[in-house]
Amino acid sequence: MKQLKNLVLIAVVAFTVVGVLPLSSVSAQSSASLSIAPKKSYVIEPGKSIEDKLAIRNIDANETLKLNLRVIDFTYTDDSGTPKLNLNQDTEPTPWSLRSYMEVPEIVTVKPGNSSTFDISVAIPENLGAGSYYSAIIYSTTAPDGGNVGLSASGVTLVFVTVPGTVNESLTLKKFGAYNGNVSGLNGYRHFMMDEPRVIAYTLENKGNVTEAPVGTIKLKDMFGHEYTINDVNPSKSLALIGQTRTFQACIKLNSQDVNFQGSKAEASTCTSPGLWPGYYSASIDIFYGQNGNNTQEITKSTFFWYLPLWFLIVAGIVLLFVAYFIWRIVVMIRGGTFALGGGSRRAKRAPARRR
Amino acid sequence: MKRLDVKRRTPRIHRAVFRVRTLFSEEFLALILVLLVFTVPAAATTRFENRGLFMTSTEPGVTTSYTVSLSYMTPEPVGSLDMLFCISPIPYDPCEVPPGLDASQATLIDQSGETGFSIHSKSVNHIVLSRPSSMIMSSNSASSYVFDNIKNPTDIDKSFSIRLKSHSSMDATGSQIDFGSVKGQVSRGIGLETQVPPMLIFCAAQQVESDCSATNEIYYSDMGTLDENETLTTQSQLAIGTNATGGFVITANGGTLAAGTNTIDNVTSPTESIPGKNQFGINLVENSTLGVGRNPEGEWANAVPTDDYGQSNKYMYVPGDVIAHSPHVSLMRKFTVSYIVNTAPSLRAGIYTTTINYIASGRF
Repeated sequence: MKQLKNLVLIAVVAFTVVGVLPLSSVSAQSSASLSIAPKKSYVIEPGKSIEDKLAIRNIDANETLKLNLRVIDFTYTDDSGTPKLNLNQDTEPTPWSLRSYMEVPEIVTVKPGNSSTFDISVAIPENLGAGSYYSAIIYSTTAPDGGNVGLSASGVTLVFVTVPGTVNESLTLKKFGAYNGNVSGLNGYRHFMMDEPRVIAYTLENKGNVTEAPVGTIKLKDMFGHEYTINDVNPSKSLALIGQTRTFQACIKLNSQDVNFQGSKAEASTCTSPGLWPGYYSASIDIFYGQNGNNTQEITKSTFFWYLPLWFLIVAGIVLLFVAYFIWRIVVMIRGGTFALGGGSRRAKRAPARRR
Repeated sequence: MKRLDVKRRTPRIHRAVFRVRTLFSEEFLALILVLLVFTVPAAATTRFENRGLFMTSTEPGVTTSYTVSLSYMTPEPVGSLDMLFCISPIPYDPCEVPPGLDASQATLIDQSGETGFSIHSKSVNHIVLSRPSSMIMSSNSASSYVFDNIKNPTDIDKSFSIRLKSHSSMDATGSQIDFGSVKGQVSRGIGLETQVPPMLIFCAAQQVESDCSATNEIYYSDMGTLDENETLTTQSQLAIGTNATGGFVITANGGTLAAGTNTIDNVTSPTESIPGKNQFGINLVENSTLGVGRNPEGEWANAVPTDDYGQSNKYMYVPGDVIAHSPHVSLMRKFTVSYIVNTAPSLRAGIYTTTINYIASGRF
């Protein structure tokens, strides 16, 4: 009986110890440093296919990179360009899915510090209608063993296919105006701004069956006739996905500079101060969209905003007070009082009594 | 006498306004409004309707045929149609010639609707069609013009436009009648890259170099023994950069810490660490209270943690959330992820584990 009691006690202690101690076993894992193409676009006619090669680079100089590849669907997260990835393979394909038409290898291995290419193919069936189709290739490193919190890194290539033909294109302009980039979505639009506006935005709802990348111009005009032109309303070539209400942002003044990205030249752009004067601004937008062989659609709209920084409001308030004061003084003087800068007017104060 | 008393009581400002009001009576204001309404539309112009462009081939740099279609809207005699190829579709913008485009060898091979046109003049980016000035058959009539031997532009990153104008003169001079633009875009069936292709570089480990060239090759973190009185912490690192103009996002995926069916609740909004309460959360900034984490490292500042995961001493974790992003090109930037675990006394014993899959993707 005592032996049994001891055994139970040992078992309880052992269970408790195992329960609270972390795992410490480790198994080798591949590199988790990769370089991939973030986006690929193709035009494929119905009944035809393409075969392409995608490159993967193993940035890690010491470890081999082993990746599992699969095709997943994605849509939009919000009104920005953030993809919402559907990692669950068991869900129904989206109406615009390429999962059934795209083939990628299941595993790719890349030696340390090397690059490798792999084949992908996209075959569009004869009966597939014209429009946009898109899915993503996800590259996943193997899951680790050990520890409480395991880490794995994955990269994604967004793949877009345009099937040419007569498509349904429908963009509706929902909002347009000065935009505060610190507030996301439609809440970022402002008719009154105390900080100098740097971004003009417009929000388009895509009700068609094709992704759209609008082009066009925005013009701003201040009270004194100064004109500011944004020549490219979509400098990042951003897309409004099918069903998405997308906000596009354009800098009033764009500062572009060449930067060295991993040994190659890249152009980096940021919004800089456009040097706007305080006051009233009118803004007009003229945007175009349309696929090859379809009508070119045009959307125009005008709006306005006030740029009134705090310092300007204070100065304007002081000036208004002074003006009001001098007008009052002039009125008093005209009615028989004496005008004395900064002082009172005895005659003015006595005037009503004299009138009586 | 009574009237004088009323006047005396009336504030002076009201009297002043009354005088101005007599100058601008309701009738006078109405007249101004009517004049505005009737004078503004006089400046309006008419756009071609049903404008479109069909390029037989959209391969950059190839010589192909273009079909321009449009509907004339204004019932006036038309003698010429001006077609100017520019990057911008806006008629009054300066015209930048699409790189690689050549319309100087174009031939008009077919026309329908309003016909009788021939090429009056042509250059690299300009074609003028001409005919004896005659009234259009009916406004809204659809017309199309097919040109052969036009060499496509070569820049696949920029769309281009043909600015259209109709004139009553035969040489596209004088005032315009209708106007409008059609948009075109070259693209490749298969992306043959002649420039540096967009790339996304990403790595994750317990410790990484800012350029991802090396990691400490540890892809897990032990947090120690769960203790209801103590917050367990650990950290890992991510580095990312891209030359893609759309920038990137990183999402965190995977469940919360679990041992079989028992789980430690993930924090669903930015919350401070509370020992004794089940909490699992992360953030991407330096935390003074627990002495864990670092602010993002790297000179390029447009890659940042999202608002929810960028608050010092506050943690959360919702699977699938975007934890960091950049809206544009971003040089390499390193993020340190802090993890916290708090446990309630009632938590069942077990080995609590999870795997967080950080997914980096471009933006569309």
